[in-house]
Amino acid sequence: MSTHLSTEQLLHAYQVMRTIRAFEERLHVEFATGEIPGFVHLYAGEEASAAGVMAHLRDSDCIASNHRGHGHCIAKGVDVYGMMAEIYGKKTGVCGGKGGSMHIADLEKGMLGANGIVGAGAPLVAGAALAAKLKGTDDVAVVFFGDGGSNEGAVFEAMNLASIMNLPCIFVAENNGYAEATASNWSVACDHIADRAAGFGMPGVTIDGYDFFAVYEAAGAAIARARSGQGPSLVEVKLTRYYGHFEGDAQTYRAPDEVKNLRETRDCLMQFRERTLRAGLLSAEQLDQIDGQVEDLIEDSVRRAKSDPKPEAADLLSDVYVSYP
Amino acid sequence: MSHPVLTVGIIANPASGRDLRRLTANAGLYSSTDKASAVQRLLAAFAATGVDQVLLPPDMTGIAAAVLKAGLGPQAASQRWPQLRILDMPLRQTVADTRLAARLMVEQGASLIAVLGGDGTHKAVAAEVGDTPLLTLSTGTNNAFPELREATSAGLAGGLYASGRVPAPISLRRNKRLLVREPNRGICEWALVDVAVSPQRFVGARAISRTEDLAEVFVTFAEPHAIGLSALCGLWCPVPRNAPEGAWIRLHPHADQALLAPLAPGLLLGCGVTAAGILTPGVAHSLSLASGTLALDGEREIEFSEQDHPTITLDGHGPLSIDVEAVLAYAARHRLLAVGREHPQHPANQPC
Repeated sequence: MSTHLSTEQLLHAYQVMRTIRAFEERLHVEFATGEIPGFVHLYAGEEASAAGVMAHLRDSDCIASNHRGHGHCIAKGVDVYGMMAEIYGKKTGVCGGKGGSMHIADLEKGMLGANGIVGAGAPLVAGAALAAKLKGTDDVAVVFFGDGGSNEGAVFEAMNLASIMNLPCIFVAENNGYAEATASNWSVACDHIADRAAGFGMPGVTIDGYDFFAVYEAAGAAIARARSGQGPSLVEVKLTRYYGHFEGDAQTYRAPDEVKNLRETRDCLMQFRERTLRAGLLSAEQLDQIDGQVEDLIEDSVRRAKSDPKPEAADLLSDVYVSYP
Repeated sequence: MSHPVLTVGIIANPASGRDLRRLTANAGLYSSTDKASAVQRLLAAFAATGVDQVLLPPDMTGIAAAVLKAGLGPQAASQRWPQLRILDMPLRQTVADTRLAARLMVEQGASLIAVLGGDGTHKAVAAEVGDTPLLTLSTGTNNAFPELREATSAGLAGGLYASGRVPAPISLRRNKRLLVREPNRGICEWALVDVAVSPQRFVGARAISRTEDLAEVFVTFAEPHAIGLSALCGLWCPVPRNAPEGAWIRLHPHADQALLAPLAPGLLLGCGVTAAGILTPGVAHSLSLASGTLALDGEREIEFSEQDHPTITLDGHGPLSIDVEAVLAYAARHRLLAVGREHPQHPANQPC
């Protein structure tokens, strides 16, 4: 797998990461006003992971996400305005405003759903991967979970099943160092989540999640492996989240300058811009133009989401398994 | 009369052995648990050879914690492990941790530093420690600099040298190095085995697993049995570890001649060879590519573009390392590990 990306691919990667960042930073501000129902868990800081993995996927490939799912949705191609409306609980949302932040799904885009249950996406993608295998396609299925999710029995069971059935499944462990407020170096017994792959008979790698190109290469190798029938693998992406576990989290468990230092030295968008400009592959004008487009998109999405109608009482009886009179 | 405290350091790189080559080749895993066990085997050997104190860096992956826990157990007591001291240092979870730990160990009087890692880990330590010798142990992926060796026997050799029972001229060997310089960017980096020039524009996942990603390889030494990028020279124009010169090889997918080489464990690839030659010490070589990346000891680390002009120079001022075979051969000749009747390990003193 190589980092030879076309100009179009590079611009798309930047656009995805910039959109996620702008989406999350705007939510950080808007959530504080009290207008957004429920909880939101922001993905800012982790953009290179979603963008690097999803750059290799098509709509027919499935992903399952976790409670921190906005970035995965955007990178998989879910409509940004529809997501914003969903988070605001509006009828125009991608799930009719009935799911909210932790249940955004769009099956047409292969997005099986964000998930409020830690680790619960893993069995879902094992099922999606089994479906692809039985249908004889070369589609793959990818689950994103965190360091907390890596301790869940459901993840272990899914890894075992994927391995014994040789499923085209990729387990992406986004290790941001904290399961809610618990440090992963305390709670993860083997510390390197990638080491756990050996116990399930699959390869595991650890990769720098601040570097889009590193994730792109590693995910590309894992996905190509799965597409060609060589089975599942585990990719541990080491990164950080810029905000709390949820909005409102005081983060007293983190060192005072931890996020500031990482933002200043490792930020994935900063690195991407500096390195592509230095290599002469993109121009500042191209990147600035994307920044402007993204800003407009987010502004427009928030404005529309705020003024859109809420679901009505009758909507409670739609999108359910039973038909009501 | 009290003797000076005999101190050695142990650096086990928590990150080594987990890169992309587990997906692109069939490279194995060296887990944190394995590394903690190897450190404990070293401690047994250091204890048996008179080392008083061992310095360990802290880490976020449980290696130091596992060793400290074992240090309270019955095996540590019966083997009389050296005193364990964890360095007081901040952690960034990057190679900066390895470099800082190496500097602190030298400052705190370590007679030698045992390194558990790959070529890259050894390179990072070597650049910080001056003439403090390295006891090299391979726990990486493609290793040419550290030889594959069991920690127990390597630890015996290290302890015998550190305690002065085997003289330095027998114990130590001086290694070569490659210096990568780019004056405008203030770059001056070391490599102990190889520097590869790649047309890949980004560091990315660091490992190189495709022949088209290689344009040139410079080596300090290249043995025919090597694994990794130095195997290209090792199987085409080998250079012994102890020779003053190095070698270089230039590659292109459309070359008339091609060589089958093991670029990674389980990864045998045909590589087109356009030219090869001897690398003379002290001569700065410019690169055949105007832009790309430089892989130092197997991992892409430096991105360069048209405005940069990196050079590569071989010299003989690399680190000192323990020659385990020579030390243990000397120990055998002089019966250094013979134990007297008073020694607790003498069979006569063992419980029936």
